[in-house]
Amino acid sequence: MKKWFIALLLLTVSAFTVQMALADKMSHKEYATTPIGECNACHKGEGIAPNHDADWVRGHRVVASRAGKNCADCHVQQFCLDCHQGGGIEADLSTRTFMRDYVPKSHRSNFLSIHPTKALDNPQTCTRCHDQSYCNECHARFPKGSLRIKSHLMLGPNGQKYSFGLGEHAIEARRNLQSCQTCHPEGDVCIQCHSSGKTSPHPRNWNSIKNNYKDRAGSRVCTKCHLPGTY
Amino acid sequence: MGIKGFTRLLLLGSVLTASTAWSAEIHGRSSTQLLWFNNYFNDQRQIELGEYLRMSVTNLDKAGKASLFGYGRMTQDLNNGEGFNGRLYYLYGEYRGLFDKLDIRLGRQFVNLAAGTAIIDGGQVDLNNAGPIGLTVFGGRNVIFSLDEENGHGGDLALGVAAYLNGFKSTDLEVSWFRKWDDWNIARDTLGASVKQYLFNNLRVYGNTRYDVVSETFSEVLAGAKYYPTSNLVLTGEWYQSYPVFDATSIYSVFAVDRYQEAVFRADYTITEQIAVHGGYTRQWFEGGANGNIYQAGLSVRPVEPLQLNFEYDNNQGYNGKTHGFIADAYYDVTKSLQLSGGIAYDTYQRDVLSDDEIARLYWVGGKYRLAKNMSASLRVENNVNAVYDNDVQGRFVFDYDF
Repeated sequence: MKKWFIALLLLTVSAFTVQMALADKMSHKEYATTPIGECNACHKGEGIAPNHDADWVRGHRVVASRAGKNCADCHVQQFCLDCHQGGGIEADLSTRTFMRDYVPKSHRSNFLSIHPTKALDNPQTCTRCHDQSYCNECHARFPKGSLRIKSHLMLGPNGQKYSFGLGEHAIEARRNLQSCQTCHPEGDVCIQCHSSGKTSPHPRNWNSIKNNYKDRAGSRVCTKCHLPGTY
Repeated sequence: MGIKGFTRLLLLGSVLTASTAWSAEIHGRSSTQLLWFNNYFNDQRQIELGEYLRMSVTNLDKAGKASLFGYGRMTQDLNNGEGFNGRLYYLYGEYRGLFDKLDIRLGRQFVNLAAGTAIIDGGQVDLNNAGPIGLTVFGGRNVIFSLDEENGHGGDLALGVAAYLNGFKSTDLEVSWFRKWDDWNIARDTLGASVKQYLFNNLRVYGNTRYDVVSETFSEVLAGAKYYPTSNLVLTGEWYQSYPVFDATSIYSVFAVDRYQEAVFRADYTITEQIAVHGGYTRQWFEGGANGNIYQAGLSVRPVEPLQLNFEYDNNQGYNGKTHGFIADAYYDVTKSLQLSGGIAYDTYQRDVLSDDEIARLYWVGGKYRLAKNMSASLRVENNVNAVYDNDVQGRFVFDYDF
């Protein structure tokens, strides 16, 4: 068995070494201005069709994971940051402006109204570009009653009061907890009920992972609900 | 941040002045912009004058290995009391090929690994050309941008380490670790991996994952394949799952959350040089039995050489509300120097079952005129008509100078 394993290992290493010797990854800088449609003129038959297909906005993540190695062949950092952190020095005419920053095409038409729906898709979508504080800074400026959260609707003087009876909030929160954090950054409203011991907020594997939090953030989080020494 | 960023830009300017004595090459773009828009936060019209500057200084040394790169902006509100604002996106010095093996970057920069992404005030070192494995290490202050300013503490740090295959033509593989501190407490510990493999001259399989060490969960998993039966046709199939994670310093990090999954199928087909189409379907799964369906279709046509028309439609029907709408753009090259264009975005959306459909429309027109090889002026004006505004005209005038 050991011999087979060693033989397989040697074969694998040899295959990689030969492949590496034949490698010829060229710099693409001089082709930076080439229209995307013409990339196949060289890449046809190599299985390396252009990365920038119509789905590029969603699909470039894997291609860009080694930013200094792939994107930088053709682009400077500004190209990434104009979408990921705002800015805008080289946008085409179709690119919209949001105050001082350009916005990517995914934020089309009235994105301020549509984004709650979009944010409920992939939970990571917003946080790839925006820090949580970005969401909170905006939400905090809007008056209560102007935001329409399912579990908070139509109750209280400003239409934002949460009711246990509706039973929606647990479903909403577990599917997209980020949306809770945008208005309640410190989680104070959650703690009012969840620190009582009646409704544990923790996931099922909590006992096996709780020390990870203590090791990293110390008592910063635990003491929000528990007395020192009781967790 | 505004003042800090401005000071750094000035510093860059002084470095540039000194660098000219070394026959360094200086290139970049100055973009002077006049913006007018509706400030959503105080419901006032706002007019701003902005200067966006990007520059690179290369060949700082005789061997051409040392360079400087910078990008920032300054804006001055002219009528609404928001005053001066500035942001420095990056400003770093780079030395490539030290001992023919090391690339070093120091300064503010964008860093990106499979395990995490950040803008840092710090350094990154790449070890390559030293065998089949390359290494990347970066660390520094984690720069967090808020709406207008920088938003962070002194103890916000980021550190990343990656090892990747180097020099393989058909294979890319990276494994990495990313740690983030929030005000001196460890906020994130993430392991990441990404892989791409080209097979049989017409297939690319790829995957990407992030494992959150604190919650001991895979926060993201992506596996996909792109198949190119011909060079004009791309077929894509992907499966993706995501599990929300939070900084360990946030109370939300100890709350139970649900997994999200989706499967994507797409086709991109360039029929001729004049016509390209694409279409896609995404199936979403939310735990607890809820589902969603997203349909997409697009068409790009160039009926005559100076005219290009683009159309995209999507329809999202899910538990999380309904949206459907389209974007249509047209571009017409009147002369080599003058391009005119315009477009519409139209969206119908229903936020929840208790509300009616709402409609958002956006109309825009624009033009760009190339005054010289290195100078151009452009104007874009858009009008938004939606549930919030009957009429919201905003736009920008831009004068670009390349040097």
